Amino acid sequence: MKAWIASFAVCALALVAAPALARAWQVDSAHSTLTFTNTYQAVAYTGQFRTFTASIDYDPADLAKAKFDVSVDITSLDTQNSERDSTALGADFFDAAKFPKARFVTTAFRQAANGDVTAAGVLTLRGVSKPVVLTVEFVPHGDAATLDVTAHVKRLDFGIGSGQWSDPAMIGADVAVHGHLTLDAMQH
Amino acid sequence: MPLRSTDTGWGALVRAFHWAIALLIVLQAVLGLTMVQLGVTPEKVRVFALHKSIGLGILALVLLRIAWRLSERRPADPAGTPRWQRRAAHLAQLALYVLMVAIPLSGWWFNSAANAPLTWFGMLQVPSLTGGYDPLWKPRALLVHQSLFWLLVAVLSVHVGAALWHHFKQRDDVLRRMLSGKSRGGGG
Repeated sequence: MKAWIASFAVCALALVAAPALARAWQVDSAHSTLTFTNTYQAVAYTGQFRTFTASIDYDPADLAKAKFDVSVDITSLDTQNSERDSTALGADFFDAAKFPKARFVTTAFRQAANGDVTAAGVLTLRGVSKPVVLTVEFVPHGDAATLDVTAHVKRLDFGIGSGQWSDPAMIGADVAVHGHLTLDAMQH
Repeated sequence: MPLRSTDTGWGALVRAFHWAIALLIVLQAVLGLTMVQLGVTPEKVRVFALHKSIGLGILALVLLRIAWRLSERRPADPAGTPRWQRRAAHLAQLALYVLMVAIPLSGWWFNSAANAPLTWFGMLQVPSLTGGYDPLWKPRALLVHQSLFWLLVAVLSVHVGAALWHHFKQRDDVLRRMLSGKSRGGGG
């Protein structure tokens, strides 16, 4: 009888407590990518940051508690061109020696009437913090999920390739960033 | 001035090809040798783009020139030229045709392996020969490009030296008929 009451209490507590916690997810790094597309001399190219960590709290039914906190290792840049990579990490661009990490933290999630979710947040890149908006596509399947986020980042807002490199005909001004995350539910 | 070559002189089209390509090769060599010493600036990127565009232009001109040349006769060698000299001259000319195709191709190959953008004067996007970044073949393609260039310099020294020797020492029409299309003895 006591055991029965105890288990009932635990279940009841779990039912009450669960909606209060946004669901926490673990990123499966091996199946997650952070890529971007841009133009160089008016020719499109794709790059990626091979190393990043993300803390993801997300429940589509409770966006008020959702939170993304992403930290990117700038030195893990790879655009499949060694000269371009070393130039991009230099002082004129990412200045990775001084700013080896970028960070994006969400501030608020919104759901439009058609169901589309966007996340407002602050991107800190090369020592500059600016608001950036992500589109969020979250597809749960059981204890796993995929999360696709897209943002448009104006590189000159963050002083990446300013001055002599600011000409968008040489390097595109608008960088489309795309995160594809494979998530596993964390055990509470 | 006939368009086609005759027994005694080169036709106008062959001469146009010859001198246009000669001029472009000199320009290309100067660009190639100086651009590699520039610091990383937008200027350097533009000079590289120009070198690539001119190289593609030379390749196209040389292919047209070869097609035209195959449909033509060649003027007779000066009477009394020793057999070994004819052989050497024709062999050098054949080598020049091979190099004028191989050097732009190796540059295109190197550019492809480096995954660098390639357009023809920003107007026409030129496809990659390697289907993306190829760090294994990239240094080899560069070595081939540079080695073939120095081979070109060597063969051109023979070609130009022989032309000048014919003109100033032998006092025959070998150089004159490439300049004006006419032999001194009339005809052509």
